Amino acid sequence: MSNSAIDYTLEHPAVAGTPSAASIDEVITAPIDSKPSRGWWIGLAITGSMLGIGVLSVSWLFYKGTGVWGVNQPVGWGFDIVNFVFWVGIGHAGTLISAILFLLRQKWRTGIARFAEAMTIFAVMCALIFPLIHTGRPWLAAVYLLPYPNQHGIWVNFTSPLLWDVFAVSTYFTVSFVFWYIGLIPDFAMLRDRTKSKIKKIAYSIFSLGWRHSNRHWQHYEKAYLILAGFSTPLVLSVHTIVSFDFAVSVIPGWHTTIFPPYFVAGAVFSGFAMVQNVLVVTRKFFGLEHIITLNHLENMNKVMLLTGSIVGYAYAMEFFIAWYSGNPLEQFVFLNRALGPYAWAYWTMVSCNVIFPQLFWIKKVRTNIIGMFIIGVIVNIGMWFERFVIVVTSLSRDFLPSSWGHYMPTAIDFGVFIGSIGLFFTLVLLFVRVLPVVSMSEIKAVLPGAQPDHH
Amino acid sequence: MNTPLLYSVTALFDTPDGIIHAAEAVRKAGYKRYDIHTPYPVHGMDDAMGLKDSKLGFITLGAGLMGGAGVFAFISWVFMAAYPNVIGGKPFFSWPAFVPVTFEITVLSAVLVTIGSLIAFFFKFPNNSHPLHDTPYMKAVSCDTFGISIQADDPKFDEAAVTALLTSLHPRTVAPVCYDEAELNHTWKTFDPKFLALLAGVALLVSAATYGTMNVVLYMPPFDWMMNQNKFKPQQTTEQYPDSRMMRPVVAGTVARGFTPYPYKGMADSAGKSLVNPLQPTAKVLALGKEKYLTFCSPCHGNFAKGDSRLRGQFPNPPTLHSDKVRTWPDGSVYHVITEGQNIMPSYASQISREERWAVVHYVRALQRAFNAKESDQQ
Amino acid sequence: MSTTQVPYQKKELPSSVSAFGAAATIAGAIIVALTFMLDHSRGLYNNIIGLSVMTSVAVGALFYVSLEYLAGAVWSTPFRRVLEFLSATVFVVVVLALPLFANLHEVFHWTHSEAVAKDALLQGKAPYLNIEFFTIRNVVFAVLWIAFYMVLTHFSRKQDATRDQKYTRINIRFSTAFMPVFALTTTFFAIDWIMSLEPHWFSTIFGVYYFSGTFLCALAVATFIIVSLNERGYLVAGLGKDHYYSLGTLLFVFTNFWAYIAFSQFMLIWYANVPEETFWFISRWKNGWEYVSLALIFTKFLVPYFVLLSQPSKMDARKLKFMGVWIFFAHIVDMYWLIMPSFSRTVMLGWQELGFPLLIVGLITLTFVFKAKRENLVPIGDPKLQRGIDFRI
Repeated sequence: MSNSAIDYTLEHPAVAGTPSAASIDEVITAPIDSKPSRGWWIGLAITGSMLGIGVLSVSWLFYKGTGVWGVNQPVGWGFDIVNFVFWVGIGHAGTLISAILFLLRQKWRTGIARFAEAMTIFAVMCALIFPLIHTGRPWLAAVYLLPYPNQHGIWVNFTSPLLWDVFAVSTYFTVSFVFWYIGLIPDFAMLRDRTKSKIKKIAYSIFSLGWRHSNRHWQHYEKAYLILAGFSTPLVLSVHTIVSFDFAVSVIPGWHTTIFPPYFVAGAVFSGFAMVQNVLVVTRKFFGLEHIITLNHLENMNKVMLLTGSIVGYAYAMEFFIAWYSGNPLEQFVFLNRALGPYAWAYWTMVSCNVIFPQLFWIKKVRTNIIGMFIIGVIVNIGMWFERFVIVVTSLSRDFLPSSWGHYMPTAIDFGVFIGSIGLFFTLVLLFVRVLPVVSMSEIKAVLPGAQPDHH
Repeated sequence: MNTPLLYSVTALFDTPDGIIHAAEAVRKAGYKRYDIHTPYPVHGMDDAMGLKDSKLGFITLGAGLMGGAGVFAFISWVFMAAYPNVIGGKPFFSWPAFVPVTFEITVLSAVLVTIGSLIAFFFKFPNNSHPLHDTPYMKAVSCDTFGISIQADDPKFDEAAVTALLTSLHPRTVAPVCYDEAELNHTWKTFDPKFLALLAGVALLVSAATYGTMNVVLYMPPFDWMMNQNKFKPQQTTEQYPDSRMMRPVVAGTVARGFTPYPYKGMADSAGKSLVNPLQPTAKVLALGKEKYLTFCSPCHGNFAKGDSRLRGQFPNPPTLHSDKVRTWPDGSVYHVITEGQNIMPSYASQISREERWAVVHYVRALQRAFNAKESDQQ
Repeated sequence: MSTTQVPYQKKELPSSVSAFGAAATIAGAIIVALTFMLDHSRGLYNNIIGLSVMTSVAVGALFYVSLEYLAGAVWSTPFRRVLEFLSATVFVVVVLALPLFANLHEVFHWTHSEAVAKDALLQGKAPYLNIEFFTIRNVVFAVLWIAFYMVLTHFSRKQDATRDQKYTRINIRFSTAFMPVFALTTTFFAIDWIMSLEPHWFSTIFGVYYFSGTFLCALAVATFIIVSLNERGYLVAGLGKDHYYSLGTLLFVFTNFWAYIAFSQFMLIWYANVPEETFWFISRWKNGWEYVSLALIFTKFLVPYFVLLSQPSKMDARKLKFMGVWIFFAHIVDMYWLIMPSFSRTVMLGWQELGFPLLIVGLITLTFVFKAKRENLVPIGDPKLQRGIDFRI
């Protein structure tokens, strides 16, 4: 495939070459049926240690209380909300790939959808840690949260964005999980019919629910998949929209701005694609899936990153322009303070990582270079983490009264919990690639050359 | 072991075109109870089999609408009927703020009901004891082959005819699938005592483990650093002082800030002679006096100082203040009575300040004059 | 490279179409002229509505042309010419803007120097809101739109004759460049012509709000034309339900997207309750404007949402044509709702408001007929055309 010779009369193949359906099964089930390699163990050791750091940090937090974090007046929201928003955002790419690209009939999604959906679920799990532990002793939640209505006959405040978050994130997790599981059912049936181990056979039989590949089932299955995709699309938009409402319904300068909903969604997709791209680059190399997760897939993901990165850049510019245009001195101060104040280093990290570096993807050589795209993916994730940091911390540390200004400095425990969440995410990813098929076999078979009948 | 029964006759095809062709042929031959098994959905198969559109969408629509409408009604009820609460200065029915939760619940209920009914009613799953399971046929269609299976319970079924039809379609193989009735018909024995005992055991174990984890392993005594502080409380006893009182009496001779001693204690006569009302009876002073009078004096003396107590005999009525005796008292005497009390009337010095007492004196004088006006007033 | 020839027989549009276009243009022009004579300011505000709707159609259509190149979509390739024809109305945009440039003082409060002198906020905005800069940037927008229109359609036409794939490649390049241009120009166009009518008000999402409506409006007009032409066989054979379904889905998606953006803007301002923002919505919720606001929710969201919700109705040619017309008028209602409350505190709706919509419908029709006479209605040289015709869901 040289650059200049794309033939537009032909469809871009979803997989490279013409692998047979049986060979697809062979390649994809290989990691499940074989013993893990040394590289996998090393990876698990690293992520497990990171997870261990997280467990220790959280234990210390439970013992001492949330005072071990760096949050204090006036910055009452710190790493906890930054990391929560970061991880929820990572999850968005998965749903985007599995739902929106499905609705757009983009065949290139088949190779990466399963992986991306799994990462959605893991990322939401990581995100849920933070609201959980910021309560101090979450296992007492049953006592102080329930029952409803409480002793005074009061219900929860359904008009509070923080409550919307509870509904949005838990709905998102549930629906993503259902979506993922529904996609796995035919693959479980395939594994059931392939495996020679008795225990595995029982497990796969249970999980496959007795799937028989019957066309009378496929018919409803496809309909259900379409419906799920149709619901997941607005759902994924709503989740980060509601996360952005946490900030935007307030009257804090720098938080209250109407572009937040689409801007947060674009940013979430942006960081999510970067994370999925990073993990896929490693996985396809590791398990020899280069012909299923092709360079073309990765290039397409990079194009999506370029697009969403530019949308994020548009939002930054709009915020700045309207802050000036509004004539509101508080808004104007906040944005000048972001660019020139004590957190200017974070702001410029964010701008360069999110807006400037992704522009390299305009160049096809960068877009199709594995190492280049991997590095930019990492940079984008760093930048998107800093975006949340900038939004949360700069606005709070310099609020209305100069006498109550403060400086936020995260503690070692803050970093420990964050490292732990990264460890949890990658530990789950490593376990996933060993236990479940990383590519949807039934979907990839359906887009192989010659897999569909000729038109009558 | 029972004799195996025939479930269906199956044929396997290598190409998607072959299976589409086979499906059309079998449908044309008039068979109703047959099925196609493919490793992935083959385009155009629904038309080839003559399947009607899936009705799943209606379930989704119904569940979504019901879930959304239900939760919106519920939130409205909470805010408008159950416990109306003003939040953020918004009206009780602030519908824009109900939208997010309504939306999420709509999606959640639609998805869960759709998937639940898909699995339970459309697929009739879980079902791991179908005759086709664990057959070479199933293993083949699971991987890369396309299969058709014509069931023996079809009204037109005849093994020889079906086999001939399938063979005529150039399949890879044609084979019957049999099943053992006894093997298929094992059902869950839900009320088997052994099973119930198992359930109870599991429940007990889980409860005990949960209790142990929550209340023993993870238990930490509640922090009471703020309740138990290293200090003495006023009503505590102590051994530090000979009188054992923690709350110390004030040092002898202490005077409060702004305190002026009252020199006529117990000297009603000299108070009457010496004290002069320092205030002028202006409208402002009279208004102050009226306010204080109505608050502190009127319950016993009556709103018009006639001695008509509002206490309904629970406390002895004082005499009227319109008597000649009181009218001829000097201001200082009235002031003295308010300050010191008289007979069973207590001192009002702590409730009414000095200024206010003098204002009350003016007001009492005004009342007296209102009921016993001078000639000059009536002109 | 395969060079399959797509059988395409060009048919002339019936004269009734151009007669309709001429009639609508003349009727619209008469009403517009009467409005200007009777109530000059009202005519100008209506002119802004007309300008913003026309821009939505022209630039929105150009957006879809470049989106098709960029996304590599095939199902829309047989329809691309229709969108190219629609984007030719970019010249009409320029014509519609001329009366406004002659009368900027009458509509824009910030052009009055004595008002700016008394107003600290307007003084702060003066570096942006001044007649010189306003004129320069809007001329630049128009030049950019016309340039991209010329370039994209030029190579598309050339391909009809040569069937050379290199023109697709060139147009992809230009489409990439057009995307940021589109986002920024439409944003500032909306800020300049609509948001600055209330120069104290501001909202960061306003540009997105305008171009979300633009997507919807251009697609609605295109859908109506595409389905009507295809039903009468003016396009190539083989276009059917699968293509309609894609059009219907896009309409549905952008209806939701518009509603999402509109709700986000309203919700955040309503919730935070900051007086410097809420006045804009309050003036649209009293003196009869509340009925327009409600009508907007119904016409632009609820009706299209429920009509297009089910899968069969997204493929139904009749429903699609109906929704095309409906959404186009919903977009006019939207612009009316954005613009007119700045002119009149109480709701104002009469025959005067019909002038510009009629004029626009007429001019779109005439432009389309004009282009259709000279060019093929289908990009017959496009390498993706055969795949587009064969497109199945």
